[in-house]
Amino acid sequence: MPDWREIVRERLAGSELDGTRESEIVDEMAQHLEDRYVELRTRGASKPDARRLVLEELNSERLIEDLRKARRPSAQQLGAPAPTGGYLSGVTHDLKMALRAIRLKPAFSLMVVGMLALGIAGNAAIFSIFNGLFLKPLPFADSERLVDLDETAPKWNLKFVGISAPDYYNWRKGNRTFDGLACFDTGDFNLSGLGSAQRVYGASVTYDLLDVFGLKPALGRNFLSEEDRPGGAKVVLLGYELWRRMFNGDRGVLGRILQLDTQPYTVVGVLPREAAFPGQSQLWVPLQLDPNKHTGFYLNGVGRLKRGVSIERARANLLSVHRTTAQEKEVTSPVLMPLRDRYLGDFRPISHALLGAVAIVLLIACVNIAALMLVRGSARAREIAIRTAIGASRGRIVRQLFTENLVLAGIAAILGVVFGNVCLRAMISLMPEDMPRWISFQMDTRFALFCTVVTGVAAVLFGVAPAVQASGVDTRSCLQDAAPRTSLSRSRRYTLSALVVCEISLALILLISAGLLVEAFRNVLHVDPGFRPENVITFRVSLPDVKYEKPEQRLAFFEDLIERVRALPGVKSAGAASAPPLGGHWGNFFAVEGARPLGRNEQDPVVLQVVVTPGYFDAMGITLLAGRVFDARDGGPKGPYVVTVNESFSKRYWPKPADAIGKRIRHSWDKDKWMSIIGVTRDTKHYGLDQEMRPSVSFSEREIPDWDSMSIVLRGAINPQLLVAPARDVLRQLDADLPMYDVRTMTERLDQSLWARRAYSWLFGAFAMVAMVLAAAGVYGVVSFAVSQRTHEIGIRMALGARPEQVLREVLAGGMALVFIGTALGLAGALLTARFLETLLFGVSSKDPLMYAAVILGVACVGLAANAIPARRAAAVDPMRALRSE
Amino acid sequence: MATPSSDRELKKGSAELLILSLVESRARHGYEISKLIETRSEGRLRFHVASLYPLLYRLEARGWVQGRWVEKAGQRRRRYYRLTPQGRKVLAAQRYGWRQFAEAVRRITGIEYA
Repeated sequence: MPDWREIVRERLAGSELDGTRESEIVDEMAQHLEDRYVELRTRGASKPDARRLVLEELNSERLIEDLRKARRPSAQQLGAPAPTGGYLSGVTHDLKMALRAIRLKPAFSLMVVGMLALGIAGNAAIFSIFNGLFLKPLPFADSERLVDLDETAPKWNLKFVGISAPDYYNWRKGNRTFDGLACFDTGDFNLSGLGSAQRVYGASVTYDLLDVFGLKPALGRNFLSEEDRPGGAKVVLLGYELWRRMFNGDRGVLGRILQLDTQPYTVVGVLPREAAFPGQSQLWVPLQLDPNKHTGFYLNGVGRLKRGVSIERARANLLSVHRTTAQEKEVTSPVLMPLRDRYLGDFRPISHALLGAVAIVLLIACVNIAALMLVRGSARAREIAIRTAIGASRGRIVRQLFTENLVLAGIAAILGVVFGNVCLRAMISLMPEDMPRWISFQMDTRFALFCTVVTGVAAVLFGVAPAVQASGVDTRSCLQDAAPRTSLSRSRRYTLSALVVCEISLALILLISAGLLVEAFRNVLHVDPGFRPENVITFRVSLPDVKYEKPEQRLAFFEDLIERVRALPGVKSAGAASAPPLGGHWGNFFAVEGARPLGRNEQDPVVLQVVVTPGYFDAMGITLLAGRVFDARDGGPKGPYVVTVNESFSKRYWPKPADAIGKRIRHSWDKDKWMSIIGVTRDTKHYGLDQEMRPSVSFSEREIPDWDSMSIVLRGAINPQLLVAPARDVLRQLDADLPMYDVRTMTERLDQSLWARRAYSWLFGAFAMVAMVLAAAGVYGVVSFAVSQRTHEIGIRMALGARPEQVLREVLAGGMALVFIGTALGLAGALLTARFLETLLFGVSSKDPLMYAAVILGVACVGLAANAIPARRAAAVDPMRALRSE
Repeated sequence: MATPSSDRELKKGSAELLILSLVESRARHGYEISKLIETRSEGRLRFHVASLYPLLYRLEARGWVQGRWVEKAGQRRRRYYRLTPQGRKVLAAQRYGWRQFAEAVRRITGIEYA
């Protein structure tokens, strides 16, 4: 029988099929030919005939070409779907390799993913807040053209005074730069006639406010201009949420009558969801201003700039109008700013500082990972050398390593976003209720984009540099090295050291910033509020004008109410004030008898005016410095008129509080009514623990009984929360239509006033801690690696007589040198960056030497600890073992 | 369908279908497949070694069939091909397409298909 294998092999010569593959084909086809030959022979063909026929069947010019086209897949790919193309299949391959590499080093991968996820989570959460506050457009058409309007009065020490009605109308008349100018006043209303009475926040607005926002009512119609005149119809636009909550979104609500402060108002429409403005406002009524009547400064304005008009041009326009027509043209001037800035400007420095902090944490995480990668890259040098030797190109290897890092970063991004979302929810829950409701924090495309970019940059940052270095490995020297490990080149050692120095300096900057902020927060917490907040609860009661028309009625009501709540068991003392600490500002101007008249340009700071009942100072725990507080002798609309002043007021005119007693003051605008000072009280932190106190004058309620809204203050002998229910019963007995609202203990009020400071100080501290841990891990990792590289050398030296202490000292010195260089650089950085925090600090300088010293000492200690472990390991090297292992 | 050269195109189109059909019920080796094509078509269709194996390898590369070496006592090893799940789907699709085509031809020409 012919040698079919030999025949097939000859036939396939020049096919360039690979070895195994060719021999398989030869086997298979030879078998076939043999079968065919046997078949032909059994049918009676002669040997030469059978051979000739078989060979004819094998003949085809296309055989080799066909075979090459139908290359059989490699063993791995059997059963896999058909390949989809060169490049893509390369990516799939890279991905597979990357996943395998990641699985092979679980601890390493976990560390990388963990560090990155931490950085991304922080970034994602803080960025979402930042995005919601400053980047996302407001839910109004062309919102960048909306401008907040106000008046400023530096002479009165007031940044914003509000707009007076005549000023508003004058601006409106002389306006050439706005499409619309609207204004509003916030207030709250007793809403009754629908079950139990409640207090709702609302706004009195000019009829065109909705137009200025570029919104249409969700239902019904907007106000008409004739409804916005003195004596106009009593109509109301319901807020979207109030409509949903109280009327279940009933479209038949139009035309219904609501009792607001016991007055009937007709519902003419429902505001769109976006018009949750201002603040917590739940309904709008027409402002009904009289353009010709002088008023105080109390209105807020919103304007829509004409297309293409800049805010500066609009300001110039209003200023020229103001100069000629304004009520107090020498003192006040218009201020304009983008609507968002007015409501959120306070958060800008905080958000920027936090963004900076998380960026540093992410940077440290990336640097750490880069160091890890570099160390691992050199550990993998042999693997890479082998791959280069068998033909992998430099580009191929870089691509492979890059894919690995991209996969790690991708996993970290997913984890980071999930964890970041959790953090975001937590931060939102910390926010105060009075955040504007049109601000919302959600993931959006911007956010997703940001995360992608952060991850991408991180991947490039920690992926490419070590990858390029690793692929530049000298193949031959690597393979010649008999030991499975390789030592680091000099340049790579420098890179590693630089990375560690970088980490330490970044961590130091963050630690100092956080230390300063936390110190500031501690200082704020230790500020004496000027009153004793423990066991004090306050709630507000407002009397509608219609039902309590006469001042005597109001006075009688409040006196009766306070008398009754004071008699409740568990109440130690009770009083009321128009504005308790943290409860708002009502300004006025005073002149002191005998004081020299103020110069034209001299400051006349605004004075906080508070109306109180006799028991108030006692109930709030405000200390009397001189004289006495109000009692039953005082008051009566006919005098003698008496007031108390606070320390700040007294200090302005007299050296000692006692000197103020008996002196007389009057309102600047009322030449005849002199009032005697009977007492001087300590300053309270009326505007917040970290804010300056203004001078203040308090009146007895009996003297100014036209006050219709008071905060009732109860000091309990027991937990003050337990006093709420009985007090509410008392109020209901007096007038079932009056809601009790804004019920909070003074401790809660103080707490809530500090939410932002607490939140960002805490966050900064957390970021700084994470940064320090990461940096310490970096130092430890790099020094440990260096020691493991030098085991052989150390062994030789110890065999030659070096003592363990010497080795210990040397390793420590090397590591600590990095720590000290990092500290020095960080110190310089901190001095530069800390001044950006200055507006956030309180009672601590941005260059506080104690803080700097403490942080440096802390960093040195942590650095020492991170160095000590590998140094001890080096000192414990057994020379015999180290040498034998070669 | 008399001579191999005149019906090259038709054969090419149907060859895959033939092979997939033959390995549907059980795994077969190459010679067996070529014999079955010849006998079942009563000698009208023939796949010689030079055209059969490139085709088999192509089907294998696409993942429609899978070959495996099997050794039996006293014999040389042979490579057996069986249908993969993916090949099963392809076969169903090709059968349907062929039936549609043949039906269309019948309607136009009035030729009853075999």
